[in-house]
Amino acid sequence: MKTTSSIISLKDVFKEYILGDESVFTALRKINLDICEGEFSSIIGPSGSGKSTLMHMIGLLDKPSRGEIIVNGRDVAKLDDTQTSVLRNSYVGFVFQQFNLLNKLTVKENILLPASYSQKKFDYDPEERADMLMEKFGILSKKESFPNKISGGQQQRVAVARSLIMKPQLILADEPTGNLDHKTGNEIIDLFESLNDSEGITIVMVTHEMELAERTRRQIKVFDGEIISDKQ
Amino acid sequence: MIVLRGFNQLLISAFADFKRDKVRTGLTSLGIMIGVLSVVLLIALGLGLKNYIRDQFESLGANLVMILPGAGFSGGGNPASLTGGAEFDEKDVSSIKKLSNIKYVVPVFIQSSTVSSANEEKKVSVMGANEDMFSLLNVKVQAGELWTKSDVDKKTKVAVLGYTVAENLFKYPSEALGKTIRIEGLRLKVVGVAKKIGNQERDEAAFVPYTTTFGSINTKKTFFAIYLGIASQDLVSDVKTNVEKTLLRRYDKDKFSVTEQSEILSSINQIFAILNLFLIAIGSISLIVGGVGIMNIMYATVTERTREVGIRRALGATRKDILLHFLTESTMLSLFGGIIGLILATIIVLLIRNWFPVAINIFAVVLAIGVSSAIGIFFGVFPAKKAADLSPMEAIRYE
Repeated sequence: MKTTSSIISLKDVFKEYILGDESVFTALRKINLDICEGEFSSIIGPSGSGKSTLMHMIGLLDKPSRGEIIVNGRDVAKLDDTQTSVLRNSYVGFVFQQFNLLNKLTVKENILLPASYSQKKFDYDPEERADMLMEKFGILSKKESFPNKISGGQQQRVAVARSLIMKPQLILADEPTGNLDHKTGNEIIDLFESLNDSEGITIVMVTHEMELAERTRRQIKVFDGEIISDKQ
Repeated sequence: MIVLRGFNQLLISAFADFKRDKVRTGLTSLGIMIGVLSVVLLIALGLGLKNYIRDQFESLGANLVMILPGAGFSGGGNPASLTGGAEFDEKDVSSIKKLSNIKYVVPVFIQSSTVSSANEEKKVSVMGANEDMFSLLNVKVQAGELWTKSDVDKKTKVAVLGYTVAENLFKYPSEALGKTIRIEGLRLKVVGVAKKIGNQERDEAAFVPYTTTFGSINTKKTFFAIYLGIASQDLVSDVKTNVEKTLLRRYDKDKFSVTEQSEILSSINQIFAILNLFLIAIGSISLIVGGVGIMNIMYATVTERTREVGIRRALGATRKDILLHFLTESTMLSLFGGIIGLILATIIVLLIRNWFPVAINIFAVVLAIGVSSAIGIFFGVFPAKKAADLSPMEAIRYE
């Protein structure tokens, strides 16, 4: 897939934590990274390398201690909590390792949850889109089921559908196959590939499995809080 | 439409949570339910008593002036203010009768005694007075006749029974006529039965000429009070002044009081306003305890649902969304308890009002709903703020 303009830019981003003994732990140091429209990238690295922290920065769940994160021309570090939440709602869709669905909501209600927090005016009907996504991912028959009554693979499909409901610019997947068996995990990656290939959806996947990372077009290796390689 | 906006979505989400954990919802609301139940019942009781006593006085007529011992009702309702004062006698009655603009002068002797017929006996209020009492207190006859001035003058051993007394002693009030009753050894012939008026004190009384009570029931030949019927409302003030002047010749100022009905009613209102406040204060303790219970559960809920908060925040919920989410739940829990408490209180009031003077009013209803909502908001705001302030990143990683 040919890439176009950058949808998020990290410039000289540092993330530091003050520990109990008042020493400073640097989780990310001098990160410079651009994610461009239509990319299918992976962030790889061992445990504690800083890849999750980097994912939180890209997903606007956390703010840098220093540096800039530019989304749609705006420095996210300067936005207040509400502005960040509104931007997160429309700009990024999350897929988590543990699915993170709400068991008290049905499959369809889970998929529609981001839409219920939206402050934008929809140019489409979210319910129709939810039905379309469920049909596409083979979970339409489970629309009234609760997440704890369906399989892990189906739950992750629900999570993928939820991440797409707002038509975000970016899908951020954190170890999306970590809780699935090999076959089901591969099916989810196939799904991502298909979404990227056919619809040009930008996907960033965090993983520690090299085998999965090799299926993406770009591999960003993180070690000790730094990007040590960026292979396209 | 599943994509629900604003308040509707919050309500439906809260309902869904409550439905899933009915036992917890019930137990959490229980504190507020008991609190509202006790506040509403206590207000109903206070209000019922107030209405009951007010009705008792209002049934006595508008131009009534009461001469009472001690500070009377001007003593702030203190029971001690009705004791230790003057003991009125026939001399006082004669002096007052000489004053102008007084239509009726009724000496009143009241004593609780056991009255017995051939087969039954009952504790009643024996009221010794003169014939003007029937006019002053508007006592009408149901059967037989009322005793007269002549009976008072001749100390005739006759009695007029209140409707309930006649019913209790003789089953049918008409059967009481001509029968003999006994009050502490005094044998009296029943000449009449008064019409039922729904006033417990009057329906359960036996009216006897005061002269008849002398030497037997009323050994000291004194009166508890003297009631005056004034010719017109405009003259009440003048009469009061004249009566006071007359009585001051025999008694010290603090040994008696001359009170008109409006003053008594004002005193009663004052006493019951204080009593109601006191009762509400007692009931409020349980409301506060209920509120703390809700806060406790909401704190536990926030901790349990930290991950849920993280998920919602990751999906775009703002701090305000999370705050409103938890605040709605705590308010609904509290309101739910309040409404159940109110319904139970209403049922209890409806069940007991035939035996006990209770009255429920719109104030109690508004107070119950308002207070339980306010408690839900007040005690829910701290846990809700805790949830809203959770870092989305940390919340979503919470195990």
